[in-house]
This record gives sequence, C-alpha cells and structure tokens, in this order.
Amino acid sequence: MKKIILSFLSSLKLTITLLIIIAVASILGTIIPQQYEGGESFRHLGPGLVKAFNSLQLFDMYHSVWFIILMGLLSLNLIVCSLNRFPTSWKLFRKKPSLDRSKPFENLSPDRILVIEGNPHEVIGRVQNLLQKRCKRVRKKDTANGTVFFGEKGTYSHFGVYVIHLSILIIIAGAIMGSLLGFNAFVNIAEGESTSTVHLGRQKGIKKLDFTVRCDKFSIAYYDNGMPKEYRSNLSFLKNNNVILQGPLLVNHPITFNGIRFYQASYGSIPGGQANITVKKGNDEGTTIKIKQKDSFFLKEKDAKVKILRIEKNLMSMGPAVLISIQTPESNMRFWVFKNIEKIRDSIPGLFKKVPKFNPGLFKPYYFKLNRIESKYYTGLQLSHDPGVSIVAIGSYFIITGFFITFFSSHKRLWVRVDEKEGKSRISVATTSNKDPVGLKRETEHLLSHFKNELG
Amino acid sequence: MIINTTILSWVTFIYFGSAIFYIFRTVTGKEFFGPLASFIALAGLIAQTFGLILRWFESYKMGIGHAPLSNLYESLIFFAWTIVLLYLIVEWRIKSRNLGAFVIPFAFLSMAFASFSPNVNSRIQPLIPALQSNWLISHVITCFFGYAAFTIACGLGFMYLLKGLEKEQSSRPFLRFLPGREVLDELTYHSIVIGFIFLTLGIITGSVWAYSAWGSYWSWDPKETWSLVTWFIYAAMLHSRFVSGWRGKRMAIMSLIGFASVLFTYFGVNYLPGLHSYF
Ligand code: HEM
Repeated sequence: MKKIILSFLSSLKLTITLLIIIAVASILGTIIPQQYEGGESFRHLGPGLVKAFNSLQLFDMYHSVWFIILMGLLSLNLIVCSLNRFPTSWKLFRKKPSLDRSKPFENLSPDRILVIEGNPHEVIGRVQNLLQKRCKRVRKKDTANGTVFFGEKGTYSHFGVYVIHLSILIIIAGAIMGSLLGFNAFVNIAEGESTSTVHLGRQKGIKKLDFTVRCDKFSIAYYDNGMPKEYRSNLSFLKNNNVILQGPLLVNHPITFNGIRFYQASYGSIPGGQANITVKKGNDEGTTIKIKQKDSFFLKEKDAKVKILRIEKNLMSMGPAVLISIQTPESNMRFWVFKNIEKIRDSIPGLFKKVPKFNPGLFKPYYFKLNRIESKYYTGLQLSHDPGVSIVAIGSYFIITGFFITFFSSHKRLWVRVDEKEGKSRISVATTSNKDPVGLKRETEHLLSHFKNELG
Repeated sequence: MIINTTILSWVTFIYFGSAIFYIFRTVTGKEFFGPLASFIALAGLIAQTFGLILRWFESYKMGIGHAPLSNLYESLIFFAWTIVLLYLIVEWRIKSRNLGAFVIPFAFLSMAFASFSPNVNSRIQPLIPALQSNWLISHVITCFFGYAAFTIACGLGFMYLLKGLEKEQSSRPFLRFLPGREVLDELTYHSIVIGFIFLTLGIITGSVWAYSAWGSYWSWDPKETWSLVTWFIYAAMLHSRFVSGWRGKRMAIMSLIGFASVLFTYFGVNYLPGLHSYF
C-alpha cells in the first residue's frame, strides 16, 4: 500500500495532471471575478450560482483551500520524486567505470582513431597531460589492449534537476511564509494629516501601526499632453512625535519603514475645496478671491451678496463650474460660472440666449471668471510586509542556475586508448554523454584535433 | 508621420518580401530564392534596428525619452525584431533556410498589425509613472525573446506536421525538401528550452517590477496568471520529453498549443477583467 502511494506521489502522471488542473483553475480565476477586484460584477450570475461559487471559494480561488491543496500536492510530488531519484543520480555521479572493458572502443568510427609517429611510451605522457587539461578525475590503466585513460566532464549536471525542483519548493515556501506572516494594507491620508491605523487588505479589519505616517503634501505633475508624469507624496514617519524618516514617495520608488514597505497606490481630492474667482467690472483688472462652498462676499456698489452655492469639478462633462447666487434688495439670481466658458460658448452658438443661467456676465455690469478650483488631495498608500520575499528571490536565482546546469551542461565521459600499431602509436577516442549529442560531438572533435596538433 | 514610423512601416514590406521568397524557395525547391530571402531579411533587420534607435532618439528629442518598449505598437515591433534576429541566428547556426517560410511570416504579421491596425497607436507617448522602471525594460526584453523562441518552435512544429504528410513516393517535392524529422524534433526542443528560460526570466523580472510598483510580486492578475499557465504548459511538455520520452508529433502539437497560450497571454488577456492591462 505504502509503495503504491509513494509511486503515485512520485509519478510524472501526477505532475502533468496537477499542472493541467492548476492551469485550468488559474484560467477560471481570470474569468470569474475575484473578490479583491471589487467584484460587484458577479451579481448577474444569480443568487443560486453565487452561493455555489461562494461555497467552492471560487471568488477567492487563489487562496481557497482546494487551490492550496493542489499546490501542496505538487510540492509533495516534487519532494517524493526527488528523494526517489536522488540515489540514482548520486550513483551516476560517483560511478567509476572499469577501464578493462574494451566495449567503448568497439565499432569505433575511423575518424575517431589517430595514428601518430612514435612509440606509445613517448606518447602516453603527453596524452595524459592533454586529457587532464580538459577533464577532471583522469584515471589511467595499462591493459592487455594498450593504455586506457578515462576522464569525465560535467558530472554535476545530474544535479541540475534537483536544483530546479528545490528552487520551486523554496519559492513556494517563500510564498507561504509571506501569506502567513505578512500583510497587505491600505490607507488614505489627507494632506497635512497623519494616521497610525490602516485597513488590512485580504485579512480585512484594521491594523494599528507602532508609528505614525503623515502626508505633508501630495502633488501630480503632468506631461504637456495631459498624461500624468509623476505622483508624489511627501511623507513623514514619526515615533513619539519625533520625525524619524522623511521623504518623497513615488510610484516605483517605495519607502521602507520599520519593515513595512509603502507604495504610492492612488490619490483623490477631498470634496469641497476652494474656488479661485475673479470678479471684473468692464475692462478693469478685477479682484481675485478664494472662496469655499457656502461662503459669501459683498459687492458694495450694488449692495449685492454673492454666495457660492456649489463647487463642481466637472459639471455635465463641461469641466469645473461654480453655482453663484446673487441677492440684492431688488432681485435674486443664480447662474453657473464655467472655467471653460469661452470654449463652451464657441461650440454652442447662441448659448446665452438659450440658457441665460450659463452666462457669467448675467449680473451686469459685473463679469465672473472661474480661474480654477483648488482642492486638497489625499494620498492613497498601499502597505506591505512580506517576510517571504527574500526567500522567493533566492529561489528565483537558483532556478535560473538550475536551468543552466540542466540544459547547458552534460555528463561527458571520455575514453582514450593508446596502443601500438605497426611501430606507430594508435590513439582511439570514445565518448558518451547523458544528453546533448551535438555538444558531445564537438567535444570529441576538439579533443581529436588537439591530439593531432600537439602530437602529430 | 514621424520618420521612425515611416521606416518601420517600410520594414513591414521588406519582411513581406523576405517571407514570400522563403515560401517560393520551399514550394518550388529552387535554392536560388534562398540567399535572396536571407539577404532581404537581414536588410530588414538592419533597417528595423535603425528605426528603433531613431525612435529612441526622437523620444528624447520630445523630452519624454524612454526605450521604445512601452506600448502595444512598440512591443509588436520589438516582437518582430526578436523573431527575425533569433531566426537569422538559427539559420546561420544550422545552415539551413527551410525554417524561414514558417517563421518570417510571423514577423511580417506582427509588423503589419503594428503598422496598419487602426487600434494600434504608433505615436511616441510619455511613460505614465507605473511604467517608469528599468525592470520594465528587462521584463519586456526577456519576455519577447522568449515569445520569439516559442514562435520558432511553433514554426518548427508546423513543419514537422507537414512533413508528417509525406508519403513514400507520391509526395510533393517541397515536403522532401524539408529537413528530417529527428532534426526538426531536436530543433523544436532546443527552441523551447531557450524560450522557457527567457519566459522564466520574464516572469521573474516582471515580479520584481510588480514588487517595486504595486507592492506585491504576485497578485494573480490575468496577465501574470496566463504567463504562469504558459509556463506550466511548456514545463509539462519538457517533462513528458525528459521522463516519458515523448518525441515527434506529440511535441509538435504541444508546441502549437504552447504558442496559442503565448498569444493569449500577449493579446487575449486584454479582453479579460484585470488590474493592469498595460496597453
Ligand atoms: C512546476 C513544478 C515542477 C514539478 C511539480 C516537477 C515534477 C517533476 C517530477 C514528478 C519529475 C519526475 C521524476 C521521476 O519520475 O523520476 C520531474 C522530472 C524532471 N523535471 Fe520537473 N517538475 C517541475 C518543474 C520543473 C522544471 C521547471 C524543470 C526545468 C525545465 C524541470 C525539469 C525536470 C527534469 C529535467 C526532470 C527529469 C529528468 C530525467 O528524467 O532525467 N522540472 N519533475
């Protein structure tokens, strides 16, 4: 029974099956919206289906019990298989073939045989030297059929597979460590404010930090064409009201404090804000004021009270606008002042006739101009603490090393026999390799041409 | 139109010419077309390299300098560039032009899609903050070398299956002209190994980038997930070869399946809901 389980666990069939199942599941996960994507979009599935999906944890598939079990099986498969195979590889690594055998030299093609002037006794030493330059562990034996040398290269190539498989296990271990001991969180901080509590991401709930983060300023820079160029939060990190660290946080340039990495994730503006307005009379320079929603000021000449009723960032897709009300002893009026009024007027001929409420000069002889809406930003920070990262990085490094060992090295064995033939020395070269026949051929030809050049 | 896009759209026609000559050569069996096809491909590659460098310069002149690897247009152009470069290296190494008819058309298609699809914007755009990263550059380069190697494997797979149609005598001349099955099989395997190594590097550099930009090296977004699926497919393929000794037709079919997954990772993912579809 134990044997059956072990051979099942170490079988390649299991590997392939698991790889396919995980692949299919992962694909499903890219089609079914996952919870953390803010997934409102699965409402249309109907309550029954949603319930079924929920109990299968399909909305948080990559963290579901069954997905973790699949990954666990894959790891177990890897471990058992590697333990099973290792003794074989070790034997191949240590194996010392007997030099008495003449089998390697049977059916040797003629181009693997060199005949060289001179007695074998004179040649043998130099053959050994040349071979030692190219190979490790050269052994020599005088046999009945001549002197036989054996050397090998790339014995370590048997272990490439283990390096790869071990790296995968290391990566999985690092990922598990990160999800058990690490956390993800986010927090929004308005300019000038500070906080020491953050919202946890997947785990949900609130986390208290043992330090305080303050957002001193948030700013955006734009390219000429209006695309964002830089999001920058100037942050201060405080402990006991002392600033310990201060610095700009940019996308792609996280800040680490107390083992927690801070990322620039999003931003927004606080509702309200201030309108920057110029009131002109005729052709004068006008006066510019900054005013908040619901605040008002007086135009003395007319005894008029001007009140800002609403401030809109983008009214009816026509850009920033403020709604102004004007009260005088004689009348009451309301109208909108758009920032882009020239453009709007040009694109809709006769606008002020049709919609007098859009005329910024409605209250004669004054003319209102909205310069901009000044708002206060908040910065959206993403926090992450992941103790598994360095382990994953080590695994990634080793997997590439393992690839090079596995794919670009091979265990080559070289047999060289020197014997006498008609008063000359005959050198026969036989080679084998566990893979890479092309590389083996090249190696053999190199060795032969070496012999030819140095001994001939 | 800026000069670099003009040059690059001309390169599309050059690759078209090269592909046509490679195909002529394979169908008619006349070696005469071969050197011509190779020469045109090489000329195209040189012109394209020049176009890419020029585009790089132009972006600096616009004050938004960055390597030309940042949007769909630039990635398609780079894809074609890696395909032709890798192909010419292979041609030179194996001293055979048979593969050209099956690979260069992909380079042409990628260029044509970039240059003539109305959905692909060829303007040089500035980099949004998330894309301002050197890891992005290494990520794109490694991924596309991987994709190019898989493209070559796919061409070889096609060739293998075509070769499989060959009957003893009745076969058309061009099938006999193709290299033997073992050679094809070996080449497919080597291409897939190269592709697999680059894909792995691509996933690793992509994770490093995600780690510095989004705070998590892996967040199961569709692009990441599909690249992992592709990785699994090729891993399964390599294992069935290593351990069960699968060869030939099965490998050829697997190389087509793998390539379909590559294409989906590259294009299809944009039709799925996701966090960061980059283009
Ligand atoms: C995804 C995770 C992986 C799993 C679960 C896995 C699992 C396995 C299993 C079960 C075997 C068979 C052992 C036996 O039957 O003796 C095997 C063999 C092998 N694996 Fe993996 N493997 C994985 C990734 C890789 C990767 C990425 C590579 C490199 C491309 C690789 C290269 C090999 C090689 C070369 C062999 C067998 C070599 C031989 O038979 O001489 N494996 N693997």
